[in-house]
Amino acid sequence: MKQRRLKIIAASAILLSGFVVLVLSTTKKESMPELTPAKLLVNADRTDNQNVKVVGVISEESSTWDAANTKLTFAIREPEGSETVNVVYNELKPDNFTDGGNVFVEGTYNAEKNLVVATKLTTKCASKYEGAESATTQKSSSYLSR
Amino acid sequence: MFIEELVESVQRVTAELGQAAIWLSVLSAIWAIGALLIGLRQRNAQIVRSGRNAIIAIFILITIATGALIFGFVTDDFSMMYVVEVSSAAQPLLYKITALWGAMSGSLLLWLWILTIAGAIVVWQNKKASDTLADYALIPIAIVQLFFLIVVTGVIEGVYNPLARFPDGIAMPDGRGMNELLQTPSMALHPPSLYVGWIGLTVPFAFAVGALASGRIGSDWVLRSRRWMLFSWIILTIGITLGGNWAYQELGWGGYWAWDPVENASFMPWLLGTAYLHSVMIQEKRNMLKLWNILLITLAFQFTLLGTFITRSGVITSVHSFAQSDIGWYFLGFILASTAGVIGLIVHRWQRLKSANRLQSLLSRESAFIANNWLLVGLTGIILWGTLWPIISEAIQGEKAAVPEAFFNKVVIIPGLLLLFLTGAGPIISWKKITPNNFRRMFVSPLLIGLVAAAVAWIFLAFKAHAASVAAAEAANVAVAEVATPNLFMRVWEFLIFKGQAIPIYSVLCVFASVFVIVAIFSEFYRGTKLRTKRQETSFLNGLWLLIQRNKRRYGGYIVHIGIVIVYIGIMGSKGYFLLESAHLKLGDSMEVGTYQLTMKDTFEEEHENYLRRGVVFDVEKKGKHVTTMKPARHYYDQAEQAEGEQGTIESAIHAIGLNDLYTALGPLPEKIGTDTYLNVQVYHNPLIKVVWIGVAVMVLGGIIAIAQKSDPNPRSQTA
Repeated sequence: MKQRRLKIIAASAILLSGFVVLVLSTTKKESMPELTPAKLLVNADRTDNQNVKVVGVISEESSTWDAANTKLTFAIREPEGSETVNVVYNELKPDNFTDGGNVFVEGTYNAEKNLVVATKLTTKCASKYEGAESATTQKSSSYLSR
Repeated sequence: MFIEELVESVQRVTAELGQAAIWLSVLSAIWAIGALLIGLRQRNAQIVRSGRNAIIAIFILITIATGALIFGFVTDDFSMMYVVEVSSAAQPLLYKITALWGAMSGSLLLWLWILTIAGAIVVWQNKKASDTLADYALIPIAIVQLFFLIVVTGVIEGVYNPLARFPDGIAMPDGRGMNELLQTPSMALHPPSLYVGWIGLTVPFAFAVGALASGRIGSDWVLRSRRWMLFSWIILTIGITLGGNWAYQELGWGGYWAWDPVENASFMPWLLGTAYLHSVMIQEKRNMLKLWNILLITLAFQFTLLGTFITRSGVITSVHSFAQSDIGWYFLGFILASTAGVIGLIVHRWQRLKSANRLQSLLSRESAFIANNWLLVGLTGIILWGTLWPIISEAIQGEKAAVPEAFFNKVVIIPGLLLLFLTGAGPIISWKKITPNNFRRMFVSPLLIGLVAAAVAWIFLAFKAHAASVAAAEAANVAVAEVATPNLFMRVWEFLIFKGQAIPIYSVLCVFASVFVIVAIFSEFYRGTKLRTKRQETSFLNGLWLLIQRNKRRYGGYIVHIGIVIVYIGIMGSKGYFLLESAHLKLGDSMEVGTYQLTMKDTFEEEHENYLRRGVVFDVEKKGKHVTTMKPARHYYDQAEQAEGEQGTIESAIHAIGLNDLYTALGPLPEKIGTDTYLNVQVYHNPLIKVVWIGVAVMVLGGIIAIAQKSDPNPRSQTA
């Protein structure tokens, strides 16, 4: 009886440790700092050439859409400040992409150019639909991003 | 004229009537809780009845409040703040009604309304019950109702009463209109079905609490809430799928699941509910896991509330983030307080929660069920970890961090495949302990056929990978010999070891597990049917019908398992093997996706009730033969606050080719499209995506069959 219980406990422990190792190692590998533009600029040395998530608002009149090359460029501004980070995104411009709208991007940061090459861009409506579930997302085409 | 006057005079009082109904409901909920507590303690049937009546009264009052708000929408009462926020005069009638859940205040009212319906049904279902279990269960239901009622009254900062009017008799000329993205049929159904599913979980939770409070901790509470649990599970399955389908059709990125915090919030209660549906069978059959089941249903219920904390507290950045307010923290407070209450009751009943039986072997049906529970709860834990990682990382490292979708995709695959295997192993392994005979009879054929299928899949994928590399070499103008060894034997070997290719090991494992499950379950159906056919001397089909008819719960469950296998295959195909091509084209230009050629032939413009539809016409060909015409577009809505130059919303065009989809989406359109204007187009070829929706339909069908079986009034466990 005792031996059986021991077996069950051992099997559970193995399963649990497997889960924990899988989760912690993947977290370590995939985790990226989530920063606003001001914080990203302060930590530029540390985040250079790293994956980051930048959260802010679309800087007014900063966006250009190059239809020929499917290239969206814009700046993310600190929500209550003037610090900005440039973004380039080579996918379709998502719905709800408007000046002053909330946005977050995931991608690699180049500190020298103060530029994030985004693999994912998500927009949220600003004040227009204050309470609504109103957001869209666009992703890069890689398998893991879907 | 008369009707207009009548509407106006009714409009003058509806909001006030609704608000009064909400405040009266607050009093009724307090009455219900007090009367049930006192009545049950004093064993006074009259006071208990008064508590039940109060639950019915809350249902009637909140129905009046909800009706008043819907009346405001339908009659364009723009003196009501919420109507202005999410509706407009031009909005079609359907979306005026669905605007009820278009923003936070109304969503909370809808949640409350469904909860009051559930409360009234519990009263009705148990009006002739000979015991007090259901009355005990009504107390937690009334407490949850009271919590939502307080939220809906608008006393919490940041949440206003959905029936509130603008001050000083102000009325707006028109509303701002509901978010355009929500004006689709699947989004009209997605939120209410999720709410119904979540709220349905409140009832089994309430019965668990009722069992603890009353001391009736047998399987009675499980059996009496079984159909509620199954109902919630079915509706949640539909609701989650509708959300994915909406994202697929509406957002233009060709996918249906992105591991966003809100998606995770809807998925986690589903996982816990699925675990609970399995573990209660162990309680019924073997009188084990009593404490575990109470904890599981408590967790499942709390996770329905956790979603609101995640999305509204502002601590997590989400695609869906609703307006942020203090409400999330109130939800967290309620979760903690109600969990503390349940833990208190568990401590109080600790002795009665001990299991009568113990696990006898690691290789038994009980163990398979427990492993299934571990995996489902483990998956929930993993998803919660990833979702809350911004908070956790801030607490540990002092800096907020996030994990991308890749994290979730990587960590769920292995437990997901183990779960898939258990979907077949669970139903065929014997209770207590596997025997050599059981293994031989039930496992050998499914395992062997699964292995053969995996080998075939391996070879098929190897050939596909080789063909792709040869095509790539040809496209790059490199000699084919450079990418493939001329020696035939070596070439086959290289295919098999995927030399130079990423080995799609998970696809092969998925095929193995899927075929194993299908063979195992079909064998179960076959054996049972053959037995029935022989016993009843009837046809095979009739025997099958009788088999399912006599044990709907068991065979309904097996059909759900088949549905799950189908969903896995669909996910494998659509996530693992999709093709995406982006191009900028002018009229007359063509692009290729896989074996399909798309030519931009024309443009079009259509006026609709409250939007303008503009797009292009693609002619789709395969090997020179016309396949179909596709019309991706963008919608420009006539909203009161439509910004100048707004780019409109993406309206993808989807064409089904067997089980696969061809999916086109258009980038922003210039005001005028000439013959030399370049437009951005993205085209996906999504293999097996239809299989995902078919699999969900099969799951729902199985669930409906299982729910049709009435609970056994004399389960074995009660005598165990």
